Amino acid sequence: MHSNMTSDSSATAQVRRSLPKRYARERRFRFLGLAAIVLTLLFLVLLLGSIFLKGWTAFQQTHVRLDVYFDPAKLDVGNLNNADYGALVRASLQDMFPEAESRSERLQLNRLVSTGAAFILQDILTASPELIGSTQPFWLPADDEVDMLIKGHSPRDVPESARRLSDRQLGWIDSLLAQERLEKQFNTAFFKNGDSREPELAGVRGAITGSFYTLMLTLALSFPIGVAAAIYLEEFAPKNRFTDLIEVNINNLAAIPSIIFGLLGLAVFLNFFGLPRSSSVVGGLVLTLMTLPTIIIASRASLKAVPPSIHEAALAVGASKVQTIFHHVLPLALPGMLTGTIIGMAQALGETAPLLMIGMVAFIVDVPQSLQDPATVLPVQIYLWADSPERGFIERTSAAIMILLLVLLVMNAAAVYLRNRFERRW
Amino acid sequence: MLKHTLSLAAACALLLGAANAQAASPGRDYISIVGSSTVYPFSTAVAEQFGKTSKFKTPKIESTGTGGGFKLFCSGNGIDTPDIANASRRIKKSEVESCSKNGVNEIVEIKVGYDGIVLANSKKAEQLKLSRKDLFLALAKDVPSPDDPAKLVSNPYKTWQDVNKDLPNTKIEVLGPPPTSGTRDAFVELVMEPGCVEFASIKALEESDKNAFKATCQTVREDGAYIEAGENDNLIVQKLEANNKAMGIFGYSFLDQNTDKLQGSVIEGGEPTFENIAAGKYTVSRPLFIYVKKAHVGVIPGMSEFLAEFTSEAAWGQDGYLADKGLIPAPKAEQEEFAKTAKDLKPLVLE
Amino acid sequence: MSPTLLLAVLLALSSLTYRLGSKRAFHVAKKPDSPVLHSRPGYHGMLVALWCLLPALAIFVIWHIFSDDLLSAYAVQSFSAAHGELSQARMELLLNDLRNLIHGSYFSREIDPALQEAADRYLAMRQTANTALAVVVLTTATLAAAWASWRISPALRARNQVERVVKICLTLCSTIAVFTTLGIVLSIIFESIRFFQQVSFFDFLFGLKWSPQMAIRADQAGSSGSFGAVPVLAGTFLISAIAMAIAVPFGLFSAIYLSEYAGPVFRKIVKPMLEILAGVPTVVYGFFAALVIAPSIRNLGMGLGLPVASESALAAGLVMGVMIIPFVSSLSDDIINAVPQSLRDGSLALGATRSETIKNVVIPAALPGIVGSILLAVSRAIGETMIVVMAAGLAANLTLNPLQAVTTVTVQIVTLLVGDQEFDSPKTLAAFALGMLLFVVTLALNVIALYVVRKYREEYE
Repeated sequence: MHSNMTSDSSATAQVRRSLPKRYARERRFRFLGLAAIVLTLLFLVLLLGSIFLKGWTAFQQTHVRLDVYFDPAKLDVGNLNNADYGALVRASLQDMFPEAESRSERLQLNRLVSTGAAFILQDILTASPELIGSTQPFWLPADDEVDMLIKGHSPRDVPESARRLSDRQLGWIDSLLAQERLEKQFNTAFFKNGDSREPELAGVRGAITGSFYTLMLTLALSFPIGVAAAIYLEEFAPKNRFTDLIEVNINNLAAIPSIIFGLLGLAVFLNFFGLPRSSSVVGGLVLTLMTLPTIIIASRASLKAVPPSIHEAALAVGASKVQTIFHHVLPLALPGMLTGTIIGMAQALGETAPLLMIGMVAFIVDVPQSLQDPATVLPVQIYLWADSPERGFIERTSAAIMILLLVLLVMNAAAVYLRNRFERRW
Repeated sequence: MLKHTLSLAAACALLLGAANAQAASPGRDYISIVGSSTVYPFSTAVAEQFGKTSKFKTPKIESTGTGGGFKLFCSGNGIDTPDIANASRRIKKSEVESCSKNGVNEIVEIKVGYDGIVLANSKKAEQLKLSRKDLFLALAKDVPSPDDPAKLVSNPYKTWQDVNKDLPNTKIEVLGPPPTSGTRDAFVELVMEPGCVEFASIKALEESDKNAFKATCQTVREDGAYIEAGENDNLIVQKLEANNKAMGIFGYSFLDQNTDKLQGSVIEGGEPTFENIAAGKYTVSRPLFIYVKKAHVGVIPGMSEFLAEFTSEAAWGQDGYLADKGLIPAPKAEQEEFAKTAKDLKPLVLE
Repeated sequence: MSPTLLLAVLLALSSLTYRLGSKRAFHVAKKPDSPVLHSRPGYHGMLVALWCLLPALAIFVIWHIFSDDLLSAYAVQSFSAAHGELSQARMELLLNDLRNLIHGSYFSREIDPALQEAADRYLAMRQTANTALAVVVLTTATLAAAWASWRISPALRARNQVERVVKICLTLCSTIAVFTTLGIVLSIIFESIRFFQQVSFFDFLFGLKWSPQMAIRADQAGSSGSFGAVPVLAGTFLISAIAMAIAVPFGLFSAIYLSEYAGPVFRKIVKPMLEILAGVPTVVYGFFAALVIAPSIRNLGMGLGLPVASESALAAGLVMGVMIIPFVSSLSDDIINAVPQSLRDGSLALGATRSETIKNVVIPAALPGIVGSILLAVSRAIGETMIVVMAAGLAANLTLNPLQAVTTVTVQIVTLLVGDQEFDSPKTLAAFALGMLLFVVTLALNVIALYVVRKYREEYE
């Protein structure tokens, strides 16, 4: 009895003794998981924070209030398109600061206002020609140098030679500030315009439209094709050399550097099929090929994860194989497939390198109207701006990244909604 | 329900696919330009001005690198090929040949201006005053041995002071473009080679063994003192800000935009300023070109008007908007010559 | 009728025939003496719809592939009659003019009357052709659908036929991967061969020195170029290994926590947030690595007295690792989540703690999928370009020290391809050869992985 008791209690005691250790291990394990998530999120916050801090100022743009006199002597009613609108801006500045007399001084004075101001006046006057002869106050965009100074990105407490703006120009800026003719306003141009070489006129609309066309095509092609390929490989394919070949191929394609897909696009879609260079069609097709492996691999993994009992049950009640898969297996595998699609599309949304070879890394001012128009996409725009010398582009680069992330969030939100609807545990 | 969504998606895909296969794509009514990323900022400025002030569409400008640009440019005539190639170096004979093999016989060459190449560091550090000889000693792979100038040894210099005792005692650390870059090529030609021939022993080599001479003068050290930093000049600028011991090699326009943070080193007595480069007092500058396909002028809308805009005083003049972007204007006489070439579309003849 | 409208009509027609087909199948089945339908009416409908759609669509597509050439050739007939024979390139430019004219785009010169005439001919002909196409397509669709619906009978194996079409579609989709691979090989092989004509194959494959300092201009023959790919490949693997050392533990632990411990709300919020990491453009990561991470590692190293290159492999690898965390975390989370609850319940019922259950039951069950997600992450790390372009630099050091600067295959490909040198120089061609090499190496790795995974799985099952 004694011995019996000890053996009985020794097993329980052993378990009991090991319990604190096991619970500690449990806590440690759980803590590791949480720590991994927290650290990753911390990095995300750091990354987004640094982008936000650099970029939020780009949503404002310094404007100058000018009293523009639509001088009938300079404007011919019959020929409003060819008038020199820059002259109106210059005259207005001259009126305000008559002391600038020499040619170089006037040149400096004129540089305070963006060259885009003339085109804004042109649009205004074309819309309402009756303004000719009147004097109107307008808020017009200031030059990017002025903008950088007002936002504090360019210092003013350095010697004149180390500044882009001369002492003279600083004096004018101060006097404009004193007259409350200089203020930061919401930067509508950033959302309204296409690309530009002047930071104050540059906008992301062209790039957003290009990204939209490109990604719609990519999604429309890569999701159905990817899912179909995954279903075939996982459910129908006989296990033979050929399917092994396909499987290895797909895994291998995922490792191919994206720029090589650009070379493929150049050789196949541009040179062989003769599709238009720099167009979203070609971009979409290249990105489709690039994202397919990701989607296929993720879809296969999630098909694999559906318990065999689901299969067997459906087959047992007389469903055909196609019915089993489309009616029962596919809905259960869909969350994983959507995850693959989210990641694949996110990658496509942020990709620059393959587009280099098919002519989408380009300066394109006009907003694309169709899939065949020359277009660029957001990451390319970011890449190009990041490489521009003008300081105004630094904040705009970050702002464009913020827009890109916003697009990404919207896209993900849709997919996540779908994923949550389909997800279940058994 | 799912099946319906899927079939709907498939139908959409089909529709889109058909839409892009749709025949009779519109012709090209804009100018297509490819080529060097160095000329890109200037060409785009002209293109934008052109697009806004004329009734033509804004040209499309790709940044492909000079070589890739010529490859596309020379692939033939026709709307699928570009009309203009930007180049940060002159077109090569082999490229002209490949052009004419594909039927591109008449190419118009226009030198649009100069690009200064500067060696700069952070304002927090000392400004360097260098000679080309100093730079050769600091950056070449093999240099004449300090003990025996007739012998070449692999570069032993670690600090600027080792090279020239008037220079500060900081480690040699130069961020510069990779060997594939035209900027690097021009830097080697304009700085390293002249610095190299100042050594009598190497000069003698030029007579005896031309290949060894070139190898000595043109090879940049690879032991980490020269860091190949890719083509993104803004990245170099920001790295210099973060590390005030390092020097960087890049285009003048980036120095021009960052004069509050960076200073250009004096090379051979000339400081890299706009005036000095334009007057030829700063020796390290190289010409930039655009090449125009004559067969496309008059066929692609707006070609001659675009060239007129590029070669106008308002664009490439002393006070033009290109100078504002950092392009160094060519001397007056040269500008007149090339403006005339652009107007008459005089084809290039390589001697 | 415009092609888009025609397509829409065709789609509408086929969905209409689906309805009609199903209805007819019902009627057939309802006849008093009819045997039971082999397939459900929906399948009959679908078969009819497919017959309606596919042949007509084929005609449509074939016409659109050839129509533009035919129409243009027809349109310029009159033009070349007036101007004599034209060269190929002249003809192309002329057609461009023609197309600009047809689309009403701005025109550069006075309009040539002959060209205007050609344009008018083109437009008129296109009008006729589109009408004809509409008639042909819609007739084909209707006839084919009518024939298919006449065939409907209880014995017709409609489901099997529809399923066959579905299976063919699925097979076709999966072969796209093979065609892509074929396309890639074809688009880089010719340049690679030209490279190997100039540079010895063995020097490339086994050379320990990579330094493409070759002449850009013809008169600089001197500088040597050595194209030994070993340091470049080694750099690629070093950076990928660092990235995986970050991504696998972080990703896996995140996935485990999300699927096993986290509440549904936490999971719903955090998982998409992690996925943002995969979508941040790689250019952004590149900047972050080059300007934030690399200097901090350097300063830290200097503080500890370690020599750290300003463009260390560590910085690029770390940031790349963070970027691919979601590949591991999200995909593994889905897989772990799909492990049947009964397995967990069984283990917990025996008294195992949750972590023991996870380690001994859930992870082994989910392992094939997890390995798949890790393989995908490795692939992404090897193929990643922009981060390394910005942060890793171009110095080809053959080293395993993560504090040194290394370069990768992708960086070299990008810099070589967009450089200013002549396009046919060995420098540019080396990019293609590197692409080819990477292709072959990853292919070999994948073949090995396939066999290893398969062998392992057989033991597991």
